Amino acid sequence: MTGTLATYRDDGILARALGAAGRRIPLPPAILELLGAIPLVVLLVVEGGEVSNAALGAAIAFFILLAGAASGRPHTDRIRWAAPPLLRAGEYTTTLFIGAAAGASSQPAAFALICALAFRHYDLVYRFRHQGVSPPTWIGLLALGWDGRLILGWVLLALGALPAGYFVLAILFGVVFVGESVASWLRFVGAQQPALYDDEEDIAE
Amino acid sequence: LTGASDNTATGVRERPAGPPATAAATATAILFATAAARDGGPAAALRWEGEQTVVARLIDQLASLGIRRVHVVTRPAFEDAVRASLGAPDSDVRVDVSPSLEADLRLIADVARGSRGGVVVGLADIVTQREALAGLLVDPRHPTGVLATAAGHGRPYAPRARSRRGRVVSAASQYHVVDTPNHRFLGVIKLSPDARDELAAVAERLASLAAAPPPGWIEELGSKEHEWRTEASEPEGRDNTTVEIDEDELEHRLAVAPDDVTALLFVGLVRSGVHLGPSYVRRLYWSRPLSERQVERARVEITEHDEDRELLESAVKAADGFFTTFFVSPYSKYIARWAARRGFTPNQVTTVSLLIGLLAAAAFATGERWGLIAGAVLLQMAFTTDCVDGQLARYTRQFSKLGAWLDSVFDRTKEYLVFAGLAIGASHQGDPVWLLAGAALTLQTARHTMEFSWAATMHQQIGAAEHPPLEEPRDSAGVKAAARAAAKAARVEAAEPAHTVEAAPAPEAPAAAAPSPARHGGIRRGVDAWTALDRHPRALWVKRIIAFPIGERFAAISIAAAVSGARATFIVVLAWGGFATLYSLTGRVLRSIAA
Repeated sequence: MTGTLATYRDDGILARALGAAGRRIPLPPAILELLGAIPLVVLLVVEGGEVSNAALGAAIAFFILLAGAASGRPHTDRIRWAAPPLLRAGEYTTTLFIGAAAGASSQPAAFALICALAFRHYDLVYRFRHQGVSPPTWIGLLALGWDGRLILGWVLLALGALPAGYFVLAILFGVVFVGESVASWLRFVGAQQPALYDDEEDIAE
Repeated sequence: LTGASDNTATGVRERPAGPPATAAATATAILFATAAARDGGPAAALRWEGEQTVVARLIDQLASLGIRRVHVVTRPAFEDAVRASLGAPDSDVRVDVSPSLEADLRLIADVARGSRGGVVVGLADIVTQREALAGLLVDPRHPTGVLATAAGHGRPYAPRARSRRGRVVSAASQYHVVDTPNHRFLGVIKLSPDARDELAAVAERLASLAAAPPPGWIEELGSKEHEWRTEASEPEGRDNTTVEIDEDELEHRLAVAPDDVTALLFVGLVRSGVHLGPSYVRRLYWSRPLSERQVERARVEITEHDEDRELLESAVKAADGFFTTFFVSPYSKYIARWAARRGFTPNQVTTVSLLIGLLAAAAFATGERWGLIAGAVLLQMAFTTDCVDGQLARYTRQFSKLGAWLDSVFDRTKEYLVFAGLAIGASHQGDPVWLLAGAALTLQTARHTMEFSWAATMHQQIGAAEHPPLEEPRDSAGVKAAARAAAKAARVEAAEPAHTVEAAPAPEAPAAAAPSPARHGGIRRGVDAWTALDRHPRALWVKRIIAFPIGERFAAISIAAAVSGARATFIVVLAWGGFATLYSLTGRVLRSIAA
């Protein structure tokens, strides 16, 4: 799958591999993502912060399985535009859920981490809109994709490495994402490249 | 030499006011002085002021925008008059004589192939303000575009067009018609150096058609009289009186219409998939006088449009939220003018806005009552400053890609820093709300991602849209509507005999024959009715408020934080934002299903 929506998805290696396997599932990506999120939602409502690591891990695995499989579906269905936002909602909510499961001291760390991730996800859109390019591949690999980040988050939780692990990740991601973005703009302005994409003024912003 | 868009696109914001004169330096303009004035001679050669003619004035305006290479194309009979009308221009002006519309188009193709920079194609007999032209020619956000007006009345003879999401999707000309128009084309097209090949190809194709106009074209031209008569008789107000039509003028407009090469080119470019952005003149003046009397009127009317004031008014974003439009823009535009006069750049203002936002977050982080109130006030100051940077950019036409990126990224940064500040402050007060803060951030980011994905889907759809061949006067929507009407007529005909047989069951077959419109007809009609509500200003504002745009969000945050505290703020943001999400999600799902 290629194109703008694929960029917005921010899939990692595992999600892409699952996508290759799940190409034939005859459901729109947004529906697959919604189905994949059901165990997480149930756990969140029933158990909340008291959830066991194993149960949370299983729910995350299920989400990655289905939402990852969705990445291989051609985003040509009528509600294709719903796939990236559902993925973001799923990723951020799960990140906060992991933080909540680790205890109150991890909650600010989870907030800090999703702030760093939000920078990347807005930058994916704004850089394409105003510079006409997407961030380079290496930064996509380094960002691990939503799937890689969720697995890493759960591993940190299981190892008892929260909140420190989240804070370190937030700082690392923040420095890399912001640094690379600023560097790209310095290069862009220096090279005076013509812009390719038309500016759009979204009222809802 | 670099292309015109190379210079304009990056739009370095160095000049305090006014577009850089070098912006379009390498572009070539082709102006068509082919229309006759009512009193004889070419309309472009009508006197404007003193010795200056309409076309000489236009050439001076283009020169002030950096376009100094101009072809003036005219008919053999007008050649002497046009040459005499040019005076002594500073620009490199040459007069080309062309006997027909076909030859006009071939000439455009030749110039497009021979030029190194961009190409501007326009009518030589239009009267407008420099800033209106600057909006099209110097704005880097439209590498290719057309001068347009969205005004519902006046200018009845300007060809209609339809745009979606900043792109013209259907265009009319003397020979073509638009199904559901939403603006008008004002006779100037700008093409980037990248679009020159396409321009040449389109002009060649149109030239062969113009040599022997297809029957559909002739028929469409014949129906313009009725269309224009109706439009010209529509008054400026919304009362039901009609305006008395100047029959001589209508007749004259009809007589010169076939030679409008710009409109034909406009249709050709749109139908070959060239991305043309409409650049609206908004409140600035534009007219196409074709007689001495009309030039006289234009001279009076143009003085009623104070260029600086209209530009400042036009600097206010056309479609913005309720809070921004009524509580911020009315005064922020004066701050923008002040900033322009002091020589501040939009990027400086954007940065100041971020710094004020940082202060607001820091004040919220104290968690004390005074801090919450100070933070609320500072956040409003940051938001006002944020409106100022965009207005300053539009007012001084200092657009830049970096500036647009900074503006967007800093907006998000401010909002999420404020969330963090509120959460820190609440922790100081022994009421941790980190999860609520995280939920608010998640909701807002998911909402934005939905906007972006929806926009990407729409752009993809618009870009992939099929256009009918140039021989067809109707656009694709018009062709489809005609096909639907024909199918309906056929169904009625088929159903008719059933009525004659009393015992026959209700005819089910026709519904199955046209699956898509029948199956989703209800939803389609519902969505259309919902969209039609936008014509009522109050309904439109309610919809915009529900959507919880940035002005409303920042106002809600300020009020809830100052009155109550962090917890209440996040609850308000989550409740309103959640409702907005459900609202837009429902609308878009229905729209997608009905499409």
